[in-house]
Amino acid sequence: MKALIVGEYRNGETLECTYELIAFAKKLGAETAMFMVGGQDDPPKYDGKLYMADSAKYGEVNPDVHTKLLLDVAHQENPDYVILSHSSYGWDLAPRISFDLKAGQVSEVVDIDDGSFVLPAFNGKLHRKVTSKTGITVVTVQSGSLNMTEQPSGTPEMTLVGGEDIETGMEFTGYEEVESAGADLTKADVIVSAGRGIGKQDNISVIQELADAIGGELAATRPVVDAGWTDHSRQVGTSGQTVSPKLYVACGISGAIQHLAGMKKSEFIVAINTDIDAPIGEVADVFVVADIKQFAPALSAKLKRA
Amino acid sequence: MEILVCVKQVPDMESKFNIDTSGTWYDETDLAYRMNEYDEFAVEQAVLVKEKLRGDTSVADTSVTVLSIGPERVKDVIKKALSMGCDRGVHIKDEQYQARDPMENASIIASFAKDKGFDLIFTGLQSQDRGSAQTGIIVARVLEMRCVTTVVGFELENDVITAKRELDGGLKAGFRTRTPAVITCQMGLNKPRYPTLPNIIKAKKKELTTIEADTMATAERMVETDALFHPEKKGAGLVLEGEINDQADKLISILREKTGVIK
Amino acid sequence: MKFTREIYWNVGADVLAPMYFIALLSTLALIYGFYARSKVYRRGKPLYRFDDIATRIAGALVKTLGQVKVIGGGAPGLAHGIFFWSFILLFCGTTLVFVQADITDPLFGYRFLKGGFYKLFSLTLDIAGLAAIIMMLGLFARRYIVRPKGLESAFDDLFIHALFFAILVTGFIVEGLRMAATEIGQNMELAYFSPVGLMTGLMFTGLEKETIESFHKLMWWIHFAFSTLFIASIPYTKLRHMFTTSFNYVLEDRRPKGSLETQDLEDESAETFGAAKAGELSWKDIFDTDACTRCKRCQDVCPAYSTGKPLSPMKLIERIGDTAFGDIEGSITTSVGKDAIWACTMCRACQDTCPASIEHVAKVLEMRRSMALMEGEFPGDEVVTAMDNIEVNANPFGLAPAARGDWADGLDNVGSLKELDKTDIVYFAGCYASYDQRNKKVATSLMKIFKAAGISVGILGAQEKCCGDPARRIGNEYLYQQMAGENIDAIKSYDPHTVVTSCPHCYNTLEKDYRDLGFDVKVEHYTVFLDRLVKDKKLEILAEEFDVTYHDSCFLGRYNGVYNQPRELIKAAGGRIVEMRRAMENSFCCGAGGGRILAEEKLGTRINIARATMAAETGAGSLVSNCPFCLTMFEDGVKTAELEEKLTPKDIAEIIADRL
Repeated sequence: MKALIVGEYRNGETLECTYELIAFAKKLGAETAMFMVGGQDDPPKYDGKLYMADSAKYGEVNPDVHTKLLLDVAHQENPDYVILSHSSYGWDLAPRISFDLKAGQVSEVVDIDDGSFVLPAFNGKLHRKVTSKTGITVVTVQSGSLNMTEQPSGTPEMTLVGGEDIETGMEFTGYEEVESAGADLTKADVIVSAGRGIGKQDNISVIQELADAIGGELAATRPVVDAGWTDHSRQVGTSGQTVSPKLYVACGISGAIQHLAGMKKSEFIVAINTDIDAPIGEVADVFVVADIKQFAPALSAKLKRA
Repeated sequence: MEILVCVKQVPDMESKFNIDTSGTWYDETDLAYRMNEYDEFAVEQAVLVKEKLRGDTSVADTSVTVLSIGPERVKDVIKKALSMGCDRGVHIKDEQYQARDPMENASIIASFAKDKGFDLIFTGLQSQDRGSAQTGIIVARVLEMRCVTTVVGFELENDVITAKRELDGGLKAGFRTRTPAVITCQMGLNKPRYPTLPNIIKAKKKELTTIEADTMATAERMVETDALFHPEKKGAGLVLEGEINDQADKLISILREKTGVIK
Repeated sequence: MKFTREIYWNVGADVLAPMYFIALLSTLALIYGFYARSKVYRRGKPLYRFDDIATRIAGALVKTLGQVKVIGGGAPGLAHGIFFWSFILLFCGTTLVFVQADITDPLFGYRFLKGGFYKLFSLTLDIAGLAAIIMMLGLFARRYIVRPKGLESAFDDLFIHALFFAILVTGFIVEGLRMAATEIGQNMELAYFSPVGLMTGLMFTGLEKETIESFHKLMWWIHFAFSTLFIASIPYTKLRHMFTTSFNYVLEDRRPKGSLETQDLEDESAETFGAAKAGELSWKDIFDTDACTRCKRCQDVCPAYSTGKPLSPMKLIERIGDTAFGDIEGSITTSVGKDAIWACTMCRACQDTCPASIEHVAKVLEMRRSMALMEGEFPGDEVVTAMDNIEVNANPFGLAPAARGDWADGLDNVGSLKELDKTDIVYFAGCYASYDQRNKKVATSLMKIFKAAGISVGILGAQEKCCGDPARRIGNEYLYQQMAGENIDAIKSYDPHTVVTSCPHCYNTLEKDYRDLGFDVKVEHYTVFLDRLVKDKKLEILAEEFDVTYHDSCFLGRYNGVYNQPRELIKAAGGRIVEMRRAMENSFCCGAGGGRILAEEKLGTRINIARATMAAETGAGSLVSNCPFCLTMFEDGVKTAELEEKLTPKDIAEIIADRL
């Protein structure tokens, strides 16, 4: 069994998720080769064959061009699996190649179960087990779903690919960083995080008060940030910051997989939610079944008194 | 200009899901359904484009078609899209909706769209129920259209599209491309409007055609669902129930004992 | 000695022709003025307010002549009443003079202003004139010296005060001059019956007869000129309220209190819904703006105004009027201001206190309907989310509809109607009792009470939807009718005898709003239902004394007049009620009505804190209400105001359930 891993490279660096893919392929029990559009002077730590295309020439995120390069390598390698990260890069590239490879694609894999893949569905409330019926399968892996035991190491056996100009109908015009004026959550010991369950913007102050009472930083989920209830610098999850504090208090957070991926490494997780079936329960050490709007003020008051 | 918007009806994510007897789907009794959240951004964007081009005499009339695949009930989301400003609806009636994989769904959409000359196709980035994030891109591949995914910014000037893609960790990437193109829409692209009553009334009279899916699915099923199930509670954490003040007291003592952060 | 006077003394009968000519001109000016204004009224939408016309007129006469709605408003209201009655007496006096001088005397040679009757006539008018002057002075002092907060004075106000003062004073001068010449020192017995005239007359006794006569002639004309100016200026100044306010009593809404116009949303000829322009309101709404006297009583009782929000019911009416009479096509949502329109809690305090029977709430609703239905506009994103949630999940929280009946799991006297035969009552739980943790406790307490009284309860469970009150009152009539239709079908399918609600909003909506949509089942709020059980000795409460203050929710109190039953229940449970300074009809909203429960309160200070503070002032330990919205607001308000140690918000049902 053979897997072609698609590494990710951004702003001149190999992304962490690349190493998760290696671990995933190992768990799958496949031999691996890797494809990456990156910098050949700074290849990922990897023991194996690496097909490297130059990001200076082909760009870091140009889908059309990367599709063409990857398809060439895939045809050459003829793998059983092409493995990508379920990231903006991976979920964009995967269907483009699966269509050409006539491969079944399984997205957002969080687990492998006897040749089948486990995928979250319905915001993580349910899981779905699926099997690909095609000879070649394209897989996107949810970041943070595997416990990586080994530190990445090794030096790849690098083959440079590409060289010719590739025509593209899409022109990359540059990156735009979000100004993150605020908090560096990655350094916080305690994070108190607000989800959609807080109901309305007003209640951010209730959560902030709880954060103050415990002595932690305020954080939020994507929907809360998108609603403009707090700023993006406080967002935890795959499209925000990945955090690992000593205590994470999830307030009215149901636990979408994208959020879990950003906080599950916290040492101790407290979830406060009315719905005991909420997927946040999967990672919570303590699950308080209560309405956060009522519980947070009660807890703050007691902490202040203590 | 011809625009197609693909929308999906999904169960409300707050629903209590019970697995049905097939073991691969959920019991649909008493469930609330709504338009896939990401598709609302797609509908809004299509209507915004139409509104912007209205009055531009250099462009032929813009018409927005909204399409949805599924059982009879998905007409509700088509009607919602029509009341938000789409011009005509297409219901692709499909009783196999529980089993279709993205490749099949994309082939159905492509079969419908192939000879219609759509300049723009908007879809959601992914669906809230299965979250594959594949269908829109495959439609683009089948129809040989350009495709920009995870879009949080969209401008159209003649046939030039300036789009902003959301990458990870808050990073965004700008792209310039041309129509015809498929755009998959991400949260933050726009603010979907609340339909006005005159538009709801008008929507009732708009054309809504139903087509059977069977002949349109040209692709083979490549991915099969074996099971749908409630994930095991890995954490097996302690559950605190009861009166709020008692819960708070218990939580404080647990935090004192188990973490070093509360004195 | 004869007790009468010569009419037209000194001025002579020659004045008759010019006098009546000028009087005719001023009457024509009056008629034309109202005609011109009526053209604007008629630009409004049709509304029929002339049914049962005899009752309407009788009611209007009582309210006008009795000043029923005016004198209740404290000293200024009483002053207005006394002034009004005095003026009526003066008017009657003038009429009697006219009748004798121009009808009975010339035609039949009959004079009745003589002897004892003339003495009475003389004395009455004299005192009335004096009273009117004193009231005028008092009101003038209030407006221009005391200057109460919120009272705004325009040119009209100064003009009216000056004009009335001038008419009254010149009247007494004319009288005094006449008496100086004809009565003082000649017929003192009669002069004593005009004490004020006598006092005035004494100032002139030293003058030559000729001087008095020519001065009298001059003053007579001046007095007459002011009087005709008064008549002519009525439609052009705030004086018009003499007619418009009185007539507004005829036009009162005679439907059950708080009824709203149910819009026909299927009407394909309708191009607009609600009112964005002045002309999209009903003619009565425009007429209302002319009936307003800017007395500011509405503003004084408005919870939004008193917490610093940009809403004053008075200014709302004023701005609609300004827009209507400026440009009937003008935007009232702009002139009133959207923030003001959204700030209203529809507590109805303004409307109930208004001495001119102006209907504020319907106007707010029509403007909200226009914004919501025509523009898809709401006070904030959180309200749009709530609308979406109500549409999809049938509750504003967006929680699973299938879980709606879960709160009743394990209660043995409560069951789903789907599975039960007839139950004694159907309990319409409402969204808060179904999903909100705090209010679930109220629902289970109520069920415990029903159990103690041996009453079986059926619930609709997943078939129950939001009653639609918040959606309707925020302007989303479409969503309301959708919810209402489904609820009506579901309830009627079980053909119940009585529906009991614990939420006054559900109660009011089912009991009044649903009637337009063909709902005919009996509906009761639980406080009324329980009070009857107690009186019929079917429910026993073990009284246990405690101090409590009771909050009348707007939708049980003002909207439905239920003030006593909840108090009886609290007393039966041993409660010693300490009333707040705003109670009963004068109760102060918790801030959640009119769909505000769905919206953030971003402007001004918080209404719930204002109310919680009033409750704390009573010194009672618990703040008891009858409404899930109120309870939610108070739980929040008590915490924010840091009154937790002093005040515990509770629902009546919880109090009773603890004492069974």
